[in-house]
Amino acid sequence: MNITLNGVSRQISSPPLTPLLRVLRNELNVVSAKAGCEAGGCGACTVLVDGRPQRSCLTAVGSLNGAAVTTLEGLGTSENLSAVQQAFVHHYAAQCGFCTPGMVVAATAYLDAGGSDDKEAIQEALGGHVCRCTGYLKIVNAIAAAATQSEFDLTITAEEPNVVVKTGGR
Amino acid sequence: MAVHRGRGVAAIEYPTGMNQNGDPSQAWIKVKPDGRVDVFSGTADIGNGAKTIQSQIVAETIGVPYDWVTFDNSNTDSSPVCTGTFASRATFVAGKAVLKAAEEVRHKLLEIAGLEMEASADDLEVVDGEVMVKGSPTEKLSVADVAGAATYGHGQLITGTGAQLKPYAEILDPETGVVSSPPHSAISYAACAAEVEVDDETGNVRVLKLIQAYDVGKAINPALVEGQIQGGAIMGLGLAVLENAYPYYPSVEHRGYGFGSYYSPGMEDLPELETIIIENPSADGPYGAKGIGEMANNAQPAAIAAAVHDAAGVWITELPITPELVLKALEAKAEPRREGKLVAFDDEISVNTVGAGISWMP
Ligand code: FES
Ligand code: FES
Repeated sequence: MNITLNGVSRQISSPPLTPLLRVLRNELNVVSAKAGCEAGGCGACTVLVDGRPQRSCLTAVGSLNGAAVTTLEGLGTSENLSAVQQAFVHHYAAQCGFCTPGMVVAATAYLDAGGSDDKEAIQEALGGHVCRCTGYLKIVNAIAAAATQSEFDLTITAEEPNVVVKTGGR
Repeated sequence: MAVHRGRGVAAIEYPTGMNQNGDPSQAWIKVKPDGRVDVFSGTADIGNGAKTIQSQIVAETIGVPYDWVTFDNSNTDSSPVCTGTFASRATFVAGKAVLKAAEEVRHKLLEIAGLEMEASADDLEVVDGEVMVKGSPTEKLSVADVAGAATYGHGQLITGTGAQLKPYAEILDPETGVVSSPPHSAISYAACAAEVEVDDETGNVRVLKLIQAYDVGKAINPALVEGQIQGGAIMGLGLAVLENAYPYYPSVEHRGYGFGSYYSPGMEDLPELETIIIENPSADGPYGAKGIGEMANNAQPAAIAAAVHDAAGVWITELPITPELVLKALEAKAEPRREGKLVAFDDEISVNTVGAGISWMP
């Protein structure tokens, strides 16, 4: 069977019930999608299947013959980042980065479907994506920014509202 | 039945590093012939930004641009010992080791530059990748040229090592606990204020706002430390109202069986966050830094419990503060007193008195 992975047709030799996540990581060596829980609960493995976000850990590869699969690698390159990727950099929306590929893919799908910069709508759309490091605020801010802006200054970090730095002491 | 709002505050102090036990970190740095800097340090980066922070310290201390620095912690054979990323020590202890190594590198660099520029090393400084005579910035030589001269002209390697260790302390008097050397000087302080909503019908607690003030010593990378404080806030929220390894007590067989039965906070639990970063420098951390990694999620549960008390008048003394615990506490509190024929709710403890300041009687 075949899938189109990030625009390139790839032949799959894994058995049809193999999760797409395992096929990507073990057979095709595309490792941006992360194995967080492998039970559908964390979102770290999210990829786009024909443009829609899907948990690759729960997707049997046999169901995808002829489908177009997009991973983080298909959204942009380090020289040419997508708007969402730039927004994540500009807003420093990662600490360890484990959840980030899933977040970026899901945010891309949300915005491609016409999603707005409304914070509650973003929280609802990405509610199933767990991040244990950032506290989500910068991720929400990054996605909201990418809803209205397509270029970001990558040489500086966005000023966060509600952050005060006080220098004092001895 | 109503939704009650309340506020609570909690404070915390937290030591950095392993006091009295010895937790060494070591680093070595070499400068390539083109002036680019390689740092070898064993600190694992688990999302705390160890690579970024240590690279910043090295760049700042030597005097070269940040992007000239390559940080290698990939190999336990080539990197010196670092006890690890724990005890909030990566910036404070390992950062100090790279700082010392970088100072040695700068010293060596200036020595070679002195030979090249026919000046005393003491009269030279490194600014943004260039060695210049202090007070006379037109007389300068790039670090790349100095490193090239060291390699091909003087047959030398510009390198430096650094190590940081709080030595093992003997207990001198078991009675009083007096030890032979003082603890690390870096104690971080923080406070968290929480605002919550408690539904006295469902027992549900919703955290509306967390305001946090953290004394970080020095925010070497403000964006990273902000992320750490915000991440800690949400983790603390999880500890306070959601996360439980044994959700289905009473017996161990009913423990959680997987990811789906462990409730970690999601994006929808995100309250309003306000962060105050306070720079109250430590005496011996790199550039005055302290470590706040572990304390970042400690004050919130206490602040949230206090806010729940403020809202509903009950102290929940177990975490997480589940709807069940809240309802049980409210029920126990609302237990009426019987005085002969009269059934009375106790003024002081009745949930019905909250806010209204009056007791309810039949
Ligand atoms: S790994 Fe697929 S949802 Fe967690
Ligand atoms: S950045 Fe670590 S899990 Fe999200």
